[in-house]
Amino acid sequence: MQARQRQSSYRDRTDEFSGIVESRRRSIAPAAAAANNDPRSAAANQSEFSKRASLIGLAIHQTSQKLSKLAQLAKRSSVFDDPTREIQELTVVIKQEISGLNGALLDLQAVRNNSGNDERNISRDTTTHSATVVDDLKNRLMDTTKEFKDVLTLRTENMKIQEDRMKKFSKISSKESANPFVRQRPLASKPSPSQPAPLPWANGSSSSSSSQIVPSRQGEAESSPLLQQSQQQQQMVPLQDTYMQSRAEALHNVESTIHELGSIFTQLATMVSQQGEIAIRIDQNMEDTLGNVEGAQNQLARYLNSISSNRWLMIKIFFVLIAFLMVFLFFVA
Amino acid sequence: MKITALLVLKAAPETTDPVILSNASDVSHFGYFQRSSVKEFVVFVGRTVASRTPPSQRQSVQHEEYKVHAYNRNGLCAVGFMDDHYPVRSAFSLLNQVIDEYQKSFGETWRSAKEDSSQPWPYLADALTKFQDPAEADKLLKIQRELDETKIILHKTIDSVLARGEKLDSLVEKSSDLSMASQMFYKQAKKTNSCCTIL
Repeated sequence: MQARQRQSSYRDRTDEFSGIVESRRRSIAPAAAAANNDPRSAAANQSEFSKRASLIGLAIHQTSQKLSKLAQLAKRSSVFDDPTREIQELTVVIKQEISGLNGALLDLQAVRNNSGNDERNISRDTTTHSATVVDDLKNRLMDTTKEFKDVLTLRTENMKIQEDRMKKFSKISSKESANPFVRQRPLASKPSPSQPAPLPWANGSSSSSSSQIVPSRQGEAESSPLLQQSQQQQQMVPLQDTYMQSRAEALHNVESTIHELGSIFTQLATMVSQQGEIAIRIDQNMEDTLGNVEGAQNQLARYLNSISSNRWLMIKIFFVLIAFLMVFLFFVA
Repeated sequence: MKITALLVLKAAPETTDPVILSNASDVSHFGYFQRSSVKEFVVFVGRTVASRTPPSQRQSVQHEEYKVHAYNRNGLCAVGFMDDHYPVRSAFSLLNQVIDEYQKSFGETWRSAKEDSSQPWPYLADALTKFQDPAEADKLLKIQRELDETKIILHKTIDSVLARGEKLDSLVEKSSDLSMASQMFYKQAKKTNSCCTIL
């Protein structure tokens, strides 16, 4: 129970539960035997359940600790001092633990179901509580398994990188004693599109040659070529090969660049044609505007005309009114 | 990206020293007193490398701060002293060209040469100055460089076309607003003209 308290995110209400049990026991005193047994056996079942749950939780915690150690080891990918054996041991142990935890969790679930079936007055809260506990443990186990998988993938990637580095370093270390020739096999395997890529190799491998200034004593200059030539025979074929390969690579690069240029041109053409449509729309809008404005101007001209001509109509109407007034006056007077 | 020297040698079989057929070196960037020793150094290292290059083979050797590239073709060997930045492929294509040119101009006469010839071969000196830029020697490099420049120009073009597209979009919006406004104007004018009851 203590262990579970440390890891679980629930509030521990064991004290409340035992208090309730006591009160129930006291209240259901007549049916004491059955009532006593029920809460007690329910409590016993519950405590067994919680004991198992706590054990499983503790085991999950330990497994996750081991997993974090394994992740650290896998991340610490150096060429030398590779803890392969330890990593493999840890991996096996963790796998066993995880499978054991799986089984234990299934048992726990079975126990819960059994306890639920046996006791009738087991409360609803208890069932939900146990269900939640089981779910939580299952989730934690799933997270651990996921982390484990991630660590394994990380490990395989690192191993691949290490293998490549081993190849490179092993080639260098066997030739570092003598002044090696520039082009070597690893160069072909490593994609090196840019020109200066072969050169750092030569720079790095020339450490053995003397660091004297150019007008050096010829005796010194003699020794380094002699050392070189001892390695000569093995290097010839790879040298030719790499030269041809580098030419082939350069050609490939040129071809791909030309392809890219072609696609860029196509995109450019598409964009320009789309914009041409937009330009046509603008043109139409402007023509519509022109038509509208001309029509409006016509209307206004007509309006002006009608305003200037309407005064005559007004005068005529006034005359008619005056005539009507006169008739009216005539009628009255 | 410098070529310090170009040599053409006749690579005799392993035991005898190669015979220098032509020599062009650029020692202008060394101090005056070092020049002669540099020339000797060039001659010596060139001889050594040429003698150790098997026929029909290319070879690159790192010596102090120079890379020495050698190409041996049926006994005629071309050696070049370049610095570390010079791309190796261009170096070898340059050596190829040199050997082809030599064979064209001198035919097979070099096979009989027994001692270092001292007459200068102008082509070699020209080659030395011309090919200081590796792109000249290696066509592939030149093509790649031009293609990259073209790609940059195209990217700029696409950017300007995008800007043009934005401007066209704003223009189309403004023109549609204008046409709306003119339509409203026309309708108003028509409305005031239609009802003729003038007060």
